[in-house]
Amino acid sequence: MEDGLQGVRFFEFLTEEEREEFAEAAEPVSFGPGEDIIQEGAEQGSLFVLASGSVEVWKNLSGGGSRLLAEIDASRGRTVVGERGLLGASGASATVKAVDRVEAVKIPRETFARMVEEGRPAAFKLSYRIARTLARRLTRLDEEVVEAIRELESRGETDVEAFRDRLITDWSV
Amino acid sequence: MPDLKDVPIFKHLDADERAEFEELLEPASFEAGQMLFEEGAPEERLYVLTSGTADVYKTILPGRRQHLATIQAPTVVGEMGLLTEPRAAASVEATTRVEAHGVGRDRLLEMLDDDSPAACKLVYEIGRTLAERMAHTNATVAEVVARLENSRGSEDIDVFRDQLVQDWGF
Repeated sequence: MEDGLQGVRFFEFLTEEEREEFAEAAEPVSFGPGEDIIQEGAEQGSLFVLASGSVEVWKNLSGGGSRLLAEIDASRGRTVVGERGLLGASGASATVKAVDRVEAVKIPRETFARMVEEGRPAAFKLSYRIARTLARRLTRLDEEVVEAIRELESRGETDVEAFRDRLITDWSV
Repeated sequence: MPDLKDVPIFKHLDADERAEFEELLEPASFEAGQMLFEEGAPEERLYVLTSGTADVYKTILPGRRQHLATIQAPTVVGEMGLLTEPRAAASVEATTRVEAHGVGRDRLLEMLDDDSPAACKLVYEIGRTLAERMAHTNATVAEVVARLENSRGSEDIDVFRDQLVQDWGF
């Protein structure tokens, strides 16, 4: 299992010792095509670090229907889903679905909570990282909205669709 | 010295960890009308408010200051500057006399680098509040997107803009 974590770039911010702590806490999981990894509306959940495969993030819209928010390919860039749910008290805000076969490492919410309870530095380092990610996303979204409002006010060329797309990329499940 | 037990994000720290912060905190007070933070200016301190009330404003449209929130002690301001850029996204103005205690952002970041349990726990608590803020923001984004999709361009742009200002909350 330890090897499994070392292969995942996401955990590079931890020391070797801390990675071992998470290796004990983490569970290797895999999902087949079409399987839900996280279900919208389900109770606050666990964090998944994607090691391989790709996923789609879907959101139910009021008034029926659902919308594709993002496609995440584990081999490129962002690989973490469920980080907001790990820290937060409310349920998943979107569904994360495997497109092809997905190999992932799960950090179960209960295990994480226990590590926090025990005052383990690894758990706090992960929280710090998640907090920074959330803070940056919140700031970016605020800036997007301010910009859109200013454009709408000045009657400039407002590409409403582009605005909408900028709002939904980088969604924190 | 403030009693950090009463401040929600310090609630889960133990007595020793709170004592560590209490030693670092420097008293600061603001008269009604004075600014704790000015939009666009540096946000290099985290303030723990122990008494008083402050208003949060943001200039969304040039020349027009939008009231975003009223905050009341006991609470904390400056936590976003700690986690992102040290630049205030909004202005915070004392509406009554505010008694506060501040700690420098650099000092807190140093503590985090040194794996200080007190600082780590504080950021964990901040992270939990941000996760809930993100949940709220997600819900708002979903509403805005649904409104855009349903209107298909037919909606009055002024109505849409005003609704956006109101819904967003910042």
